[in-house]
Amino acid sequence: MSDFWWDVIDPIQSVLDGVMFGSIYALIGIGFTLIFGVMHKINLAYAAASIGGAYASLAAFQLLSAPALVVFLCAAVASGVIGYAVYICCFRFIPEHLPLATLMASVGMLILIDEVVVHATAGMPEPYPAMFDDVMIDLEPFWVRGDLLMIFVLSVIAMMILLYILYRTRLGIATRAVAQQPAAAQLCGIGQQNTNAVTFIITGALGGLAGAMVGASVGILSPLLALPLTVKGLIVTVIGGLGSIPGAIVAGLLVGGFENVFQYFRGVTERDIYVMLLLFVFLTFRPQGLFGRMSTRD
Amino acid sequence: MLELHSLSKHFGGVRAVDDLSLTVNQGEIFGLIGPNGSGKSTTVNLICGVFPTTSGAVVFEGQDITDAASHRVVAAGIGRTFQNIRLFGDLTVWQNLWVAQNSVEERETGWFARWLGGQRRGRDYAGELLKFAGLADRANELARNLAFGEQRRLEMARALAARPKLLLLDEPAAGMNAEEVGQLATRIRALREHGMTILLVEHVMELVMGVTDRIAVLNFGQKIAEGAPAEIQSDPAVRTAYLGTADA
Amino acid sequence: MDFYYGMAQLIGVHTLLGLSAYVVLLTGQVSMAQAGFFAIGAYLAGMLTVLAGWHIVPAMLLAAVASAFVATVVGFPALRVKGLMLVVATLAFGEAVRIFWFNFDYQIAKGNIQVGPLGGEGFKQIRYFPENGWSTADVALFIWAWVIAAMVALWWLDRSRVGSVLRAVGEDELAAQSVGINLTAVKVSAMTIGGFIAGLGGAIYAHYTTHIEHLNFGVILATFAIAYPILGGLSSVIGVLIAVIFIQGFLVEVLRFMGDWRNLLFGALIVLAMNVRPDGLFDARAMRTLRRLFGARDA
Repeated sequence: MSDFWWDVIDPIQSVLDGVMFGSIYALIGIGFTLIFGVMHKINLAYAAASIGGAYASLAAFQLLSAPALVVFLCAAVASGVIGYAVYICCFRFIPEHLPLATLMASVGMLILIDEVVVHATAGMPEPYPAMFDDVMIDLEPFWVRGDLLMIFVLSVIAMMILLYILYRTRLGIATRAVAQQPAAAQLCGIGQQNTNAVTFIITGALGGLAGAMVGASVGILSPLLALPLTVKGLIVTVIGGLGSIPGAIVAGLLVGGFENVFQYFRGVTERDIYVMLLLFVFLTFRPQGLFGRMSTRD
Repeated sequence: MLELHSLSKHFGGVRAVDDLSLTVNQGEIFGLIGPNGSGKSTTVNLICGVFPTTSGAVVFEGQDITDAASHRVVAAGIGRTFQNIRLFGDLTVWQNLWVAQNSVEERETGWFARWLGGQRRGRDYAGELLKFAGLADRANELARNLAFGEQRRLEMARALAARPKLLLLDEPAAGMNAEEVGQLATRIRALREHGMTILLVEHVMELVMGVTDRIAVLNFGQKIAEGAPAEIQSDPAVRTAYLGTADA
Repeated sequence: MDFYYGMAQLIGVHTLLGLSAYVVLLTGQVSMAQAGFFAIGAYLAGMLTVLAGWHIVPAMLLAAVASAFVATVVGFPALRVKGLMLVVATLAFGEAVRIFWFNFDYQIAKGNIQVGPLGGEGFKQIRYFPENGWSTADVALFIWAWVIAAMVALWWLDRSRVGSVLRAVGEDELAAQSVGINLTAVKVSAMTIGGFIAGLGGAIYAHYTTHIEHLNFGVILATFAIAYPILGGLSSVIGVLIAVIFIQGFLVEVLRFMGDWRNLLFGALIVLAMNVRPDGLFDARAMRTLRRLFGARDA
């Protein structure tokens, strides 16, 4: 093979790894975007709740030695519960016309969840189970890491289940109705409060899975993961277009690949600068995001 | 004074305003009427630069203001009110007027006094307008606490605070009772006495027919008739498009 | 006694940070970039006094002007996005600034030690105060002179027409434009003023802690910056001060005996406060009550 080929092989490999890891960003992005779609508010506690759910599932791992897949499901369930708690604490009772108050409350919740985790684990990182982490699939000249592939596949399954719920069930139709026409949906007998609560539970479960995937790919869980995941998730949401699920998916994979290739070239301390630059490029040239509509609503 | 030349605005496939031309003369009260969704409010928004025109031109006092930024339109001498009242609810009544004085004083006072000076001048100036709007005793109330009719009057006073030459009133009588409509008509005539030109976009027939000098009728974004109130009332096209279906 | 001076210094610096976010919030923009401006002020002022040997006052002013300039530059593109998009954009900007300092090395030899910012290790030895023999009390007074100047300036601004214009833009941009307000000018000015004040705060912060590193200027600091005015209620600069005293003085210092648990309590209290008083702890009604207590005319 030519020298040139050897030069590009590693960058391509890192894009591949990054895109697979990016499916986690996509999950988080979907969560932000879905809540935004339904409530026109941002739940800043979302990524923290996801990590919190993953931590809760550690109980199943450490006490019951449950298999990895069961642990992941526990994470989803736990995060769903946390999601509901976030809804009650930060969104349910604060008046609609005070978006700053909900924003601030969700920040308080972020800190609260983070601190509960820190106290429960004495701030130490905890090992997290993975699947297929000893498998390396050889696709000459590339390698596919088994654990990353597993993450990618599980994320895709989760997204498909979500899309099925949203587009094929009564629950999903109600959710989309509230997102598009809250007043009209109410007149048709769809309870806005209930729909909001269900959205928080569903996105919570999705986030819990994402949190578990983070743990599985890194091998450990740390409370320090919550803030970077929040920032990346928000960036993915904006690049994808606020309120757009396909946008969040594509943007998640894009950001994942993008950051990994810059990590390869520029090192881990600098890579996030380039992700921010990508965001600024989007904000300047395509502020509505990949799939967003230009709307007057903020 | 205000000329619209073949003004058009398309939202996707919808022609909200379609090839509209009209002229408002100095000192007249010009009515713009039409059924719901006929493009009246869109016309006002195009004149004020709220969104960009698809084609055509807006000329004010010989100056092309097509697609100018909203604040430039105000500086040129056009004030407006909104169909669904948009006051600054958390500011007091007089502060609502203070905010709007901006473009007047641009020429009269120094930068420092205008922006960082005390409240006295602002209050004095607001006082006259509040008297005109019948809100003199409400000056220190928060705008959000005003009654509906008071809010309409305050919004009109706020538009006047920038001392416009042309005032665009977007459905000022919506939601008013007969007595309030009568007071509004008196107020509009008083403004004309002071040399103000007025473009009245309205639904309430008694007001339009009572105060305007000329009327243009819109339907589906197009002008279907123009003339004195009496002519409009007897125009067969208007009857079918508007009066016939909506009011008769 | 030094404990109280230390607390006064901390409260002073955070008040400046909160005031910088307050101005921007009045125009309805939630800026998570204030920690970034704060960082720029901190690093630049530190470099000016340590590397260039400047007196602290001109160093602070130049650092603040530089922050204000960056804020102006950020302000223009930030106008293109609103609401939640702005939150994310400014958050990303703040993080980009932090990562910039994380990767920034500029050291020179001073005597037999190397001084200056050094990437992840941070910028140590910003020892202007001890080198010039300032006591803790001197430093606290110095800080509060700036804080009071900033508060008086903003108080005045708030009472002048500028204040009403800023609030008008914050409430309804379309209506504000239609009475002749130039949105671009107002929003960018607010960002610039905010950048200047944050830069001042950062400059002081660098000198009283003597050691700064990129981790000081993360998302949490940006959150604090907007938390102060929101918790304080946006009715007056006094609200910001009260919120800072509540959070830094009460939660962080008085509850120090609770150890690490106070952070948990901090999160819970924010959630509780926003549920109980969504308009802020010190809202317009509280402000009027206060005025009445001092016998002032209700204006």
